[in-house]
Amino acid sequence: MQERDALLKKKVQDSVEQIPSDQLLLLDPIIEKYQGSMSYLIPALKEAQETFGYLPMEVQRKLAKGLNIPAPHIYGVVTFYSFFTVTPRGRHTIRLCLGTACYVKGAKDMLQIIVKEVGINVGETSKDGRFTLEAVRCLGACGLAPVMMIGEDTHGNIIPSATLGILEGYQ
Amino acid sequence: MVTLTIDGVKVAVKKGSSILEAAQQAGVRIPTLCHDKRLIPYGSCRLCIVEVTARGRTRTMPACFNPARDGMEVATNTPKLRDARRLQLMLLLRSHPLLCPSCDAGGDCQLQNLVFDYEVPELSFGRQSRYFHTDNDSNFIRFNMNLCIRCGMCVRICEEVQGQSELSFVGRGIESEVSTDFDRPLDCEFCGQCASICPVGAISSKWLVGTGRRFELQNTSTVCAFCSLGCSLTLGEKDGKTVYVTSSEDSANEGNLCVKGRYGWPFAYSESRLTKPLVRKNGSLVETTWDEAIQTVAEKFGAIKKSSGPDSLAALGSQRLTNEEAFVFNRLVRTVFGTNNLDHAGGYAYRSVTDGLAPMLGYAASTNQIREIRDAKAVLLLGADLTETHPIAKNEINLASARKKAKVIVVDSIRTKLSYREGFFLSVPPGSEDLIVNSMLKFIIDGGLLDRASVDLRSEGFEELLASLKDYTPENVAAVLGLDANLIKAAATAYAKAETGVIILSEGLNRYHDNSPLSKAAVNLALVTGHIGKESCGVYVFGEKANAQGALDMGLTPELLPGYHSVRDEAARTKFEALWNGQIPASPGMSAQDIFKGAENGSVKGLYVVGENPVDTYPNRQQVENALGKLDFLVVQDMFLSSTANRADVVLPVSAPYEKTGTFTSSERRIQKLNPSSKPIQGKPDLEIFMSLAAGMGKPELSYAGYSEVMSEIAGVVPMYSGVSYEKIGDKGLVWPCLDIEDSGTPILYEGGFPIGKARLAAAKPIGTVSRSSGSFKLIPCVLKFHSGSFSEWSPSLMEVCPPGFAEMSRVDMTDLGLNDGDTIKIIGNNGQAISLKANESRRALQGMVLVPYHFSKNKLNSFTDWGSTEIVIQVEKA
Ligand code: SF4
Ligand code: SF4
Ligand code: SF4
Ligand code: FES
Ligand code: FES
Repeated sequence: MQERDALLKKKVQDSVEQIPSDQLLLLDPIIEKYQGSMSYLIPALKEAQETFGYLPMEVQRKLAKGLNIPAPHIYGVVTFYSFFTVTPRGRHTIRLCLGTACYVKGAKDMLQIIVKEVGINVGETSKDGRFTLEAVRCLGACGLAPVMMIGEDTHGNIIPSATLGILEGYQ
Repeated sequence: MVTLTIDGVKVAVKKGSSILEAAQQAGVRIPTLCHDKRLIPYGSCRLCIVEVTARGRTRTMPACFNPARDGMEVATNTPKLRDARRLQLMLLLRSHPLLCPSCDAGGDCQLQNLVFDYEVPELSFGRQSRYFHTDNDSNFIRFNMNLCIRCGMCVRICEEVQGQSELSFVGRGIESEVSTDFDRPLDCEFCGQCASICPVGAISSKWLVGTGRRFELQNTSTVCAFCSLGCSLTLGEKDGKTVYVTSSEDSANEGNLCVKGRYGWPFAYSESRLTKPLVRKNGSLVETTWDEAIQTVAEKFGAIKKSSGPDSLAALGSQRLTNEEAFVFNRLVRTVFGTNNLDHAGGYAYRSVTDGLAPMLGYAASTNQIREIRDAKAVLLLGADLTETHPIAKNEINLASARKKAKVIVVDSIRTKLSYREGFFLSVPPGSEDLIVNSMLKFIIDGGLLDRASVDLRSEGFEELLASLKDYTPENVAAVLGLDANLIKAAATAYAKAETGVIILSEGLNRYHDNSPLSKAAVNLALVTGHIGKESCGVYVFGEKANAQGALDMGLTPELLPGYHSVRDEAARTKFEALWNGQIPASPGMSAQDIFKGAENGSVKGLYVVGENPVDTYPNRQQVENALGKLDFLVVQDMFLSSTANRADVVLPVSAPYEKTGTFTSSERRIQKLNPSSKPIQGKPDLEIFMSLAAGMGKPELSYAGYSEVMSEIAGVVPMYSGVSYEKIGDKGLVWPCLDIEDSGTPILYEGGFPIGKARLAAAKPIGTVSRSSGSFKLIPCVLKFHSGSFSEWSPSLMEVCPPGFAEMSRVDMTDLGLNDGDTIKIIGNNGQAISLKANESRRALQGMVLVPYHFSKNKLNSFTDWGSTEIVIQVEKA
């Protein structure tokens, strides 16, 4: 159980790779478009995320400077909306429930399979950019335990050995 | 006014007041956990709920953001309310770790106090642990977000009041916490406002960690000794040592402090403080006794006076002397030394600004109170980078801008932080702000935007002014400065049409040319638009150091005696001679600039420098060094062995401001009392030294029983202080003019008219030209909020947060010179002087300008400056 608690506390890792500064130039048109008004922060962030896939520190700081909005404020907004992410994400986010019901009914084994076969642990993104794995507390569907969400889809009553088969459906 | 009843007490309050404010006025205490009078009500804790009965209906509502209305009956402490509050406190405790025994805030924690007051029992539900970030890496301040109750006051004060927005709520829901972006350590103003407002121990001062808790400190209130705003300080001592500085929310500054006031005090404990007098023997300074030191000074000055006449002596005082000390110093120099060769650094900086004001309006000082700025609808800043020079006044502009939608008009050669507020930014070459003001004035008059009544009934000289403005059309001035004329027009319109408008000038050692054309232009503008003699209007001049205003009031000048009486005025002189029991020369003495010239050419032989460091701060370092080298005898009175003290023949150590009594007069004319902490005095108070020196020079009658006796003498001869006494000053200070015992001070000048009859508009000087040289740069010696003159170099805490810094340059200039952040540049002056330092790209620097802070003696920035020059042309090379 201690191990599980540790997994549940793990957040998606901070990006290690720096975005090269010439790529940051891609932000210039966005800054130009939204300059001068604090109210357009969210559209600006959305476009920036569409450009880079995520909003790492360099991107947020450059937007802060360009839009003249304090960096802590931008970070506050980014972390408020689950839509935004500060780390690179796979195309599909797996949210594996490690709530007590799911854990005892096989989520533990599912996790092992994912770690072994997909090659990612909680908080990590696969090299091919396909999956990001997150551990979540009870999803409120204990009747369907064990439960796993992939993107918006909920999968329940999973037999651990079927895990990989389910993932096959997400390329 | 609305009248309501709170817990049976009837109270009448201003319309728009909240129920909470009404209760405070009625003396009824309502608990709050997310409210502070400096902030916009937030309404998150709901502890302030009260029962309100109006028109036969009783409802429960938070008191902090609901307005008081006529006829309301408010109950604040019914059993039902107490139960509700108790439950709220229990919910807070559910996730608040009960670390009270080891928490810094223990004993002075608002949550703890309320839990006690409301007798909160054992929780009937399980406690919940959550884990949040802690930060021990920031300067001065530490964060432990596990203790946070999410009142949001830190985030709000940082944004609403400081205008810094360094903190934000990050994350969502129960995971949210207060942090910076990516949880980095603070990189902000370090004002400590967040720590001081936190109701619990989540943000606190590092100095207290393991030292003491707030509730057990012994408190003394005194006045900040750095800038001229006169914020009041509460020094908290543990075991006889100051460990914590804060400010009372009842003070004029409402508890706000900047980094210098709150965290700059450790200079008083610096190892470098001088404790014993030093005398030069065989070429080096050695410790000696007070008796020997005073005797040496008295004999040597006496001998010079005898052999070369009294005018071969000269003295420089300081804006850091108290009023009492400045007054007695004045007496010492004029009647014991027998010379009028007396000045101080403010004599060429601050004075040139106030000199514009006195002949036009009557008084040489700011017209209004600092706290009125927040209600102004237009703010015109003339070369006033308040974020750096006077941080607490900057807060007022944030408030005016955000809450009153004031237009902020910045005229400066630096792209200051306030220039990003809603309004206008007009960039000018250093020292040309007056051109903009004159053209605004011209446009206002031509466009009929003036206040006729104010011009016709309250002032004279309008025709001459109008004629002198002939060439100052916005188009002309715009062409001279390379600006858009429409910008000048828009700024002029905004200021003229605003219902209330303030003009602010600040002054420091970084400006040493004659600034009176600028202050005259500012006064003209205020008079012509009728923005004077009313609340939230007027002209403010902010001097550099704590007693900038007092030093002038007390006559630390070559020709003005205390109270602005000229030495040429025989009647005044006679009065002072009788009072001071000695002769005063009838002709004005030498100014600071002349004193150094005099020393160079041998006419000044003995110099007494009290509290200043001319080698590092006066213009033209080469001349200063040369002049000091030629003196027969130099005495320096200081807390530290400054570059100037190092060259002295005798050094007399003085006590720190926190160890002293006396008064300072702030930039809003507020006379406030200093109170010593219990800490033993090192060195001697300046007053005591002046008295022993006078006795040594054969004038033992120059003697006072204490500071308050000096103040009564001041009241007798300085008209604006005539009703001032220590009892009346009290805790809150007294704003001059205070004319008699009945007078409780005059916060707003000229409400009922001008003491000189009608105000006198002043003609503008001819427009002149502005050099726009290419291929070279202009050096702007700038101020940083972490420092004050060269004095703050002795504060280890301020040096830690802001070490000798960088030159700031624009991005374009950096790219042109092939520079990256952190590269070293060489700055070469027209006089051949050169220094090297690192450069950083900065938005503050406009193209062609190089900003270098002038606080650091190691940079020797005054090698490039000269008396009277407005701009400093330099070459910049990559080193
Ligand atoms: S120290 Fe001042 S500027 Fe820095 S975070 Fe706290 S309130 Fe904001
Ligand atoms: S850190 Fe303190 S001031 Fe800030 S939200 Fe938490 S409890 Fe309030
Ligand atoms: S604003 Fe000036 S007076 Fe106030 S705390 Fe800062 S330095 Fe001291
Ligand atoms: S434990 Fe997984 S859904 Fe409740
Ligand atoms: S003080 Fe009123 S809601 Fe917190």
